Amino acid sequence: MSNEFPERGESRGSRRHFLAEQSLRLGTLALAWQATRGATAAPPKPVDLPSQFDLKPKQPTAPPQAQAMISFFMQGGPSHLDLFDNKPELQKRSGEKFGGEIKYDNAAESSPKLFYGPWKFGRQGQCGMELSELLPGLAEVCDDITLIRSMHTGVNNHGQSIYALNGGRPTGGRPALGSWLTFALGAENQTLPAYLVLTDPGGLPVLGVENWHNGWLPSLYQGTVIRPQEPRILNLDPPRRSNLATQQQFLKLLDSVNRDQLSQHPGEHELAARIASYELASRMQTSAREALDFQQETEATQKLYGLDNPKTREFGIRCLLARRLVERGVRFVEICTGNQTWDHHGGIVTALPDICSRTDLPVAGLIKDLKQRGLLDQTLVHWGGEMGRLPVIQNEKNIGRDHNTYGFSMWLAGGGIKRGLTWGTTDEFGHKAVENVVNHYDYHATLFYLFGLDAAKVAFPRPTGLGTILDGQAGQIVSGILERPPVTA
Amino acid sequence: MVRVDLGPGPTCVGSHLLADDPPRQVGERIVGTYRALSQTVGQDTLQTARRLTKLSVLRGSLPVTVTDLPSTPADRPSRGQISPLTLIASRPMIRRQCPLWLGMILLALGPFSLAWGEPPVEPMFESHIRPLLKAHCWHCHGEAGETKGGLDLRQVRRMVQGGDSGPALLRDQPLNSPLWQRVVSGEMPPGNKKLSAVEMGVLKGWLERGAPISRAEPENPEASSPFTEEELAFWSFQAVVRPVLPVTRQDGLENEVDRFIAAGLEQQGLRLSPPADRVTLIRRLTLDLWGLPPTPDQIDEFVSDASPEAYSRLVERLLASPRYGERWGRHWLDAAGYADSDGYSTRDLERKYAWKYRDYVVASLNQDLPWNEFLVEQIAGDELLAPPYRNLSPEQAARLIATGFLRMGPDGTGDGEAEVQTARQEVIAETIKIVSTAVLGLTVGCSQCHDHRYDPIPQADYYRMRAIFEPAFDVSHWRNPTARLVSLWHDEQFAKAAEIDQKKQALNDERTKILDGIVSEVFERELLKVPEERRADARAAKGAAADQRTPGQQLLLKEFPALNVDRGSVYLYEPQKINEHNKKYDDLTAQLNSQRPPEDFAHCLTEVPGAVPATRIFARGDFNQPREEVAPAELSILCSGSQVPISSKDSSLPTSGRRLAWARHLTSGRHPLVARVLVNRVWLHHFGAGIVTTPGDFGALGARPTHPELLDWLANRFVESGWSLKSLHRLLVHSATYRQSSQRTPELERVDPENRLWARAAIRRLEAEVVRDSLLAISGQLSNRMAGVPVPVAPDEVGQIVVAVDTRDSAGRPTGKTVSLGEDEFRRSLYVQVRRSMPLSFLESFDVPDMRPNCTLRNSSTVAPQALLMMNSDFVSQRAADLARRVMVMAGSSRAEQVRLVWRLATGLTPSERQLIEAWEFLDAQTAAFAALQLEGEKPEQRPDPALSALTSYCQAILCSNRVLYVE
Repeated sequence: MSNEFPERGESRGSRRHFLAEQSLRLGTLALAWQATRGATAAPPKPVDLPSQFDLKPKQPTAPPQAQAMISFFMQGGPSHLDLFDNKPELQKRSGEKFGGEIKYDNAAESSPKLFYGPWKFGRQGQCGMELSELLPGLAEVCDDITLIRSMHTGVNNHGQSIYALNGGRPTGGRPALGSWLTFALGAENQTLPAYLVLTDPGGLPVLGVENWHNGWLPSLYQGTVIRPQEPRILNLDPPRRSNLATQQQFLKLLDSVNRDQLSQHPGEHELAARIASYELASRMQTSAREALDFQQETEATQKLYGLDNPKTREFGIRCLLARRLVERGVRFVEICTGNQTWDHHGGIVTALPDICSRTDLPVAGLIKDLKQRGLLDQTLVHWGGEMGRLPVIQNEKNIGRDHNTYGFSMWLAGGGIKRGLTWGTTDEFGHKAVENVVNHYDYHATLFYLFGLDAAKVAFPRPTGLGTILDGQAGQIVSGILERPPVTA
Repeated sequence: MVRVDLGPGPTCVGSHLLADDPPRQVGERIVGTYRALSQTVGQDTLQTARRLTKLSVLRGSLPVTVTDLPSTPADRPSRGQISPLTLIASRPMIRRQCPLWLGMILLALGPFSLAWGEPPVEPMFESHIRPLLKAHCWHCHGEAGETKGGLDLRQVRRMVQGGDSGPALLRDQPLNSPLWQRVVSGEMPPGNKKLSAVEMGVLKGWLERGAPISRAEPENPEASSPFTEEELAFWSFQAVVRPVLPVTRQDGLENEVDRFIAAGLEQQGLRLSPPADRVTLIRRLTLDLWGLPPTPDQIDEFVSDASPEAYSRLVERLLASPRYGERWGRHWLDAAGYADSDGYSTRDLERKYAWKYRDYVVASLNQDLPWNEFLVEQIAGDELLAPPYRNLSPEQAARLIATGFLRMGPDGTGDGEAEVQTARQEVIAETIKIVSTAVLGLTVGCSQCHDHRYDPIPQADYYRMRAIFEPAFDVSHWRNPTARLVSLWHDEQFAKAAEIDQKKQALNDERTKILDGIVSEVFERELLKVPEERRADARAAKGAAADQRTPGQQLLLKEFPALNVDRGSVYLYEPQKINEHNKKYDDLTAQLNSQRPPEDFAHCLTEVPGAVPATRIFARGDFNQPREEVAPAELSILCSGSQVPISSKDSSLPTSGRRLAWARHLTSGRHPLVARVLVNRVWLHHFGAGIVTTPGDFGALGARPTHPELLDWLANRFVESGWSLKSLHRLLVHSATYRQSSQRTPELERVDPENRLWARAAIRRLEAEVVRDSLLAISGQLSNRMAGVPVPVAPDEVGQIVVAVDTRDSAGRPTGKTVSLGEDEFRRSLYVQVRRSMPLSFLESFDVPDMRPNCTLRNSSTVAPQALLMMNSDFVSQRAADLARRVMVMAGSSRAEQVRLVWRLATGLTPSERQLIEAWEFLDAQTAAFAALQLEGEKPEQRPDPALSALTSYCQAILCSNRVLYVE
């Protein structure tokens, strides 16, 4: 740039300031990234929000125990009765008619006949947690987890229950959990998206892209998908038919064309800023590539996640990537199984062992790896679906189980969660949660607490007042499962 | 030093800043260290600073540049904490004293002056203290009959008089006055929003001088005009006057516009820049008037046209094209808050007929419908007709559709999710926001809950304005969005539809009867699985109404749940039969539907004749606290302080006539704001910034005009020319000011770095739609199909919103199906559906506004995600591939010709020798690299031609370049 121009290096258009501004806005990759300007400021009381939103790290209101979250979303509804919640009474009366109230999703195939699965339960770990033989991997790490046997959403369809567990209410259009956490906390890493979703080669879960939708939060907080095939991150990854050489040549040409124009317009800071934005974009590409390159891991680590076995390799890679991402400062990672993978209305006897053998070992590998690297303390891991199954048979010709959102199991680990604990119980048939019931809003209140946030207070203005994940529901922090529960006055 | 006036009132800049070091003059700048007072949790210093920067620019006050930004997380203060940052006021000090500059500086420096220690101008109650107390104190002490503690702070004499705890102002020892003590201790005002240090300084200075007033205070503040002389004298509320044309010695001026600009420049010793070259000019003009780049042929024709009329011919050609209405219609749709969905709630229901309003706007602009008629139709088109709006002619239908302007705001009253009473009130509030910011350039909405804090808009005036609209938005006889649609069918179409509907009803009855037959067949079959002795009971149980069943019957049905077959669940038992049944009747229904006339509605605003609701002031804006009734009226400050009543019911009309009367008042040619606001918007779009840089706020917090005389001259001429927009375009684009080069020079940088004096053209990034449309045009794909239902948008497999038919299944999962949109995929962005909850990702990245509820000024950001989108998105990659194929067809096999054509199509320029060589080397290198590129599992015959890949890559680099993304 010509020297005769007044020194404007410190002015608004300068590169230095530009970079500061960029850092506000980065990490918002595959989607409509543009920070939404201004929120709806409607009576009665407009909330003073920043005019632009960003993903810079933000301090929570209380000291956080968890810094990041990895959520295994086992869509379809894993059968708690065959995996987590052994019921001797069910075993005793298997084959008899169930006398109680029951709600079926499918009346045509419904049967009142109780059914105890063909799998053995046993006590595992030092804590003696009772788990099914289908989960040998989990058995090895059960001393690090809290198993909750008393989950409840009470809405018996997949979509509604996903909405409840992910957005706080059984209705659509609300922000997903990951959107809330990135809205409230941003992320440490500014060259990777803050909220990533690793989808399954078997397709998207029920509700598709709504599972990581920002709802009415700015679209900056929408989850970014890492696809199971190339290009892994749309718009962030260069086109499939390209390599380092073609990319570098491309960037060099673009830079040259742009600098040529800039030389004819000395002092035009915006043109310079855009040149810098291309440089930054290229660094982001590299950064994402590097994060996804699991080949950098040792053979032992790859084996820990089951990458040496064709059965577990695909899921194992995603588990390994989740660790690499969290390690690099990503705030929220979700790993999905495919569409209705766990929705065993029929054929449960073969299908359930199959999906368990695909996923159990890599999940356990992740827990072990996080632990050995000292990451488990700050990383909250969640494993669960949107429902469980009924104690009675569906479809006697090809045995399965129908939906049950009145009592089901999921587990949590790390990030301030107690180790080797089993929490809550269902009734004698495993149909309804009866003791220490955990509703979806209790779950959210607890998660937010672990991140140093108050689920009732992290808010965004809506035409009808402040929108929160709890939406006015009295979510209770489940203190019993926490290593450091809130101090009650 | 410069004499400084304190300006019209407390300012946002001041309220966020504390002076640390007294500002001093360094060279030609004022430099000082300030502390930003972060007033909001979660809002850190940097954000505050950015906001300040934005505000100061918006307000036309001293441009503040933030330099020493704290970047570490430790510097994020929580509520009320202070962290230092250095701000540099970058407006150079003036060398020559001149009235215009001085005027600007006087206005601009206001908030800073006290931070320098000495208030140079005597602070007076009316000009300095009253606005401050109004903003901070009157809510409890004086406004709307509220006098907490018996204290009224609206007059100095009342302060002296005091309240329950004695006088608030002690004349003999002013700094011991409770007024000052309460403020300085932080006790008052209560809450988080305190007076800023600058405001406190002003207050202290005034008290120390004995609390002077400019004129005697009346006995009762309400008895006389509610406005002070200062408020009444505010620039934008004055009638538009025809200014005398300035005298200037500069040559090369084209028209009157230039004389105003040149005169301003001369005072700074500057002159207009030389004209831009012809290629730059035609590109600038075509992007401006069409929102599309010129084609090589169009460029050649203009460049080689030696006649003196060449430029006029170009302007006329562009203005005569329908592309013009598409481009400039989009500008107005921003102000109107155009959207194809209801917004408000999470459901964001589609507005199926909003597009008719979009087409009305485009057609009106293309026809150059006089702006006064355009406004009258949009505000009161329905009142130009008579209910029940049947058998309308196309012209009548257009007037009805025009009122879609008042139906653009978010409306959650039909979605079943929102709390209805609140939602109804919100529809009215949002509509008033849209109309007031778009047409009046005022933030009237601020006075919904209390008197406007900064502008002289009393709360009562807000409700008088609301009364203009209330007959059409009657909350006690509310009509949901669908109930507001007015059918555009004529009698014969209604008759035909009724005939078809009758047939459909018969068909439906038949369908249900057969379905019931299947249900009972299935039931009989399932009944056989019940032990014989219990079948009769089971039949009786099933036959009984669900809520009439005995406990025994309920148990029985629970024991045999398969008996619960009904119309809804029978498909689970007999899937094939039900599928066939459904298919048969769906087909028959579809056949009948195809004979039915297509639905056709106006998305419009109408009144219910005879029902004229009362409008009441809502205490503190709360609709549950209605107070006194008010009559419809224009804002009183716009009528020189007196109300211009609008008849509550025009007896000559079937409707109330309120909106029509108001619209005629607005377009009388004597309104102080309507023409000013509009010509400022037009200037903004031609030149990149308004004469008033806050096009939606001509009030106290808005910016002051840089060229007030020019603004008035333009407003006057616009009205006198018959409100012709095209005539205004002609005038502006013919000016030498418009045709200047955009080149910066060291002298300009020194004197006017922000280009507020227009000594050069501004380099600007293209707007979102123009980026997308340009890429389509350059690659040869752009469709010119106009009007009609919007092109659909849907999420892709990862959730980006793209142009596509939504083929997700009922559970929201992708089905993998694609429905070809054909040519629609390549239509202009104007025609892409504006779903408030699903903005097209490409456009959103480039700052398309989010319409909550409208947009009077767009952002133009430069961020890395835009770069990633240009480099890697499918959309841009495909345009590059299209362009590569296009140039191969048009330019043949000569590489040099191909490269030249890429440049000409994309940038309008001819590449230099060096650029050609660079292209040559690039294409060689890329061809080699692509030839060597072997993907896993890729068969040789699947690999694209490396030379074509290289050319595609070249095309994409040019499409990504600033030559395409900016207009010079």
